Amino acid sequence: MKRPPTKPAGDLMTGHDRVGVDPARAAGAPWTRREFVARAGSVAAAAALAGPAGLSPAGARAQAARPAGRRPRIALLATEVRKMSHAQHFVDRFLEGYGWQGRHHHPELDLVALYVDQFPENDLSRERSRRRHVPIYPTVEEALTRGGSKLAVDGVVIIAEHGLYPHTETGQTLYPRSRFFQRVVKVFEASGRSVPVFNDKHLSTDWNECVAMVEASRRLGFPFLAGSSLPVTWRIPAVEIPLETPLTESVCLAYGGLDSYDIHGLETAQCMSERRAGGETGVRQIQAARGAKVWDRLEERELTRRLFFTALSRSFTCRGPEGYPASFPGITWLRKNVRNPAAYFIEHRDGFATSLFMLAGLVADFTYAGAARDARPIHSCQMYLPMPPALTTLADFFNPLANHIEQMILRNAAPYPVERTLLTSGMTIRALESLYRGGAPVATPELEVAYRAPANSQFWRT
Amino acid sequence: MGRELRKIAFLFEEFAPATPGQQLLDRFLIGYPRDGEFHDPRIPVVAAHLMLGVNAPELDDRADDYDLTPAETVEAAVAGADAVVVVPRRPGGLANERFVELALQQAPAGGACFVYGALCNRLARGQEFARVARERNLELRSGASLSLTWRLPPVELPWETPLADALVVAQGPFPGAEMQALDALAPVIERRRGGESGVRRVYYLEGEAVWRAGDRGLWSWPLLAAALSRSDSPQGDSVLDGRTQDLVGLGQVPKLARQPRAWALEHEDGLRTTVLTLDGVVADFNFAVRAVDGAVVSAQLFRAPPPGEQHFSLLAAALEDWFRGGPPGWPLERGLLIAGLLETFAQPAARDPRGVATPDLRIKYRAERG
Repeated sequence: MKRPPTKPAGDLMTGHDRVGVDPARAAGAPWTRREFVARAGSVAAAAALAGPAGLSPAGARAQAARPAGRRPRIALLATEVRKMSHAQHFVDRFLEGYGWQGRHHHPELDLVALYVDQFPENDLSRERSRRRHVPIYPTVEEALTRGGSKLAVDGVVIIAEHGLYPHTETGQTLYPRSRFFQRVVKVFEASGRSVPVFNDKHLSTDWNECVAMVEASRRLGFPFLAGSSLPVTWRIPAVEIPLETPLTESVCLAYGGLDSYDIHGLETAQCMSERRAGGETGVRQIQAARGAKVWDRLEERELTRRLFFTALSRSFTCRGPEGYPASFPGITWLRKNVRNPAAYFIEHRDGFATSLFMLAGLVADFTYAGAARDARPIHSCQMYLPMPPALTTLADFFNPLANHIEQMILRNAAPYPVERTLLTSGMTIRALESLYRGGAPVATPELEVAYRAPANSQFWRT
Repeated sequence: MGRELRKIAFLFEEFAPATPGQQLLDRFLIGYPRDGEFHDPRIPVVAAHLMLGVNAPELDDRADDYDLTPAETVEAAVAGADAVVVVPRRPGGLANERFVELALQQAPAGGACFVYGALCNRLARGQEFARVARERNLELRSGASLSLTWRLPPVELPWETPLADALVVAQGPFPGAEMQALDALAPVIERRRGGESGVRRVYYLEGEAVWRAGDRGLWSWPLLAAALSRSDSPQGDSVLDGRTQDLVGLGQVPKLARQPRAWALEHEDGLRTTVLTLDGVVADFNFAVRAVDGAVVSAQLFRAPPPGEQHFSLLAAALEDWFRGGPPGWPLERGLLIAGLLETFAQPAARDPRGVATPDLRIKYRAERG
């Protein structure tokens, strides 16, 4: 397949100014600790205000802007739409519906505008556009205004995953999530009206941009949902950790590439960790490891080791010794047979620990285990992904996320706090920095993101 | 954890990777994940007898690597065994009645005997097995892995629900698909008001007749839509370009199905059960049931990916608990009814479009409330 040449990230914004971000911040100047603490507090307050069933004042205004009885209209901003790209999964779920609660659910909203950044040879956006009469607009702004002068949709979905984009020196792909978002905010400001926004996966590869995105949603008062599908997919077994459970550590075993799948692993752990007694307090240090150091750390830490093997027991794909698919590996076998493992060891401000193990070649699923210091009880499950093409034909783990987006737009309230993804975005940035620096510990005073989880995790169980 | 297990015997028609025999043997020989940890059953002797004339180097490997005890004869394998597991060549294929007969004759009294797949090929033979087992104080059960697998979502029909209609979607050749579908649906519908009442009439449909029967109301299109809404593997356009599809609403089911076949069962209590084998439509097993009050419950019967196929761990756990003295998780009559249905399905008379009466299948039983 012939693909368009990789474009520098900066060129993607040609002809459009950055908006909604303090220019100094956009240029990379870090927030001071005092600034961020103040901001995190306000962000947490906003999350509390717009709880799962709540309607923020701005949300109420947005709802009032839609004539009664008219179905909500949404715009979807994509990097590329091809078979199995994230955008294809979302576009098709909004256009064709999806299995939900025992029926084929047709969303109660209309996808009316697309912006697509790249068109590979196997592009599907044009076929979808023709067949379902959804225009593809040449710019983000025109998609949001539907060619007019003011915002003309009731919700915005940003799916900036996949496509050819340059990388940071630490290996993160410069997907234009924050850039799309900034242009969305500019349209909101120019229109004097804001609507709910969903951002797929992490917020940005730049911490200040991450903060600015959450800040903008707070400033303009629109519901903002973000993150991975992992927190809301099936859990096997269907474990819900009660709020205020006295956890001291979360372990996630994951697979896939760094920056692409580690965020899924971090969100897997964080959607459980945030339910601990006292709620999330933020992160003070991150240290990454590769190769033998991963197993060295595992041998040093008894609770981590115990949680590691509990999580491993929840895997459906763990590959032990050849010829014995039922066998269960120990550390000695893992040392010899798992190629190039990586791990992130994350210290939270309240002493809580998150350990993420990236074990491509050993497992091909996401599993979780968490417990208090005495390891009684251990909460564990698999966040199950019916993953095509190996296991299925549809990536139905996007069904609950698509439904949460729909519900957010219908109710004008985010179902769970964006601070989860603000924090996991920061964890990803700093963990990759640690890895880039040979596993040096990285202090993270800026990740002082405190928030509370909703009472109901809202994962898929119906 | 109940009584000590000193010996377990496996009787195999074949042994190869990724077969039910391998999945079950390895779990008792090596261990399996259970309740968030790796569980080693620690059974001192695990013996295996392979049908004479069949070659299986993987069994030799297990003898070398894990102290599996090879047994030249059934008698040697089952001697002193607390439990015997009989595994035929394929689930849903012909049962190895000779193995079951020998196991029931030669296993020590007071033990357990599990037959993977169909209990027998003829109902009369199964009833004879039941009599021998009773006389020798042996617990006898049959079944497959999908009856115990995870359901997505994890639904359980409320006990004593008045049930009107049930439907299960399967794939694969006859009779394996039907055996697995009936076995997977049984624990759902057995919980209905009054329990299982037996089956009084069976209808067979194939090809276009399947759709016409649905249009006439012999089976329920809405229930099929509910079951298919649980599928992660629609075929057709989803394979082509990844799109989601309302398979029933778009009329895709008849277009995609390759040689569809359906068995519609009339139960004694009025429940209607349909087994739809829809190769080419989806590639997973799903069911839906409708209560008398109209409420619908549906789920996917989850098959964990190979090579681990961890749904076998749930079957192994249920078997181990039973072998250690716990109650078997389901009644023998389930296996008798399924075997009787499979025997009926295989008879030419069952293909009569007017259906066939099944007076021998008035097998009533109650499930464990569990």
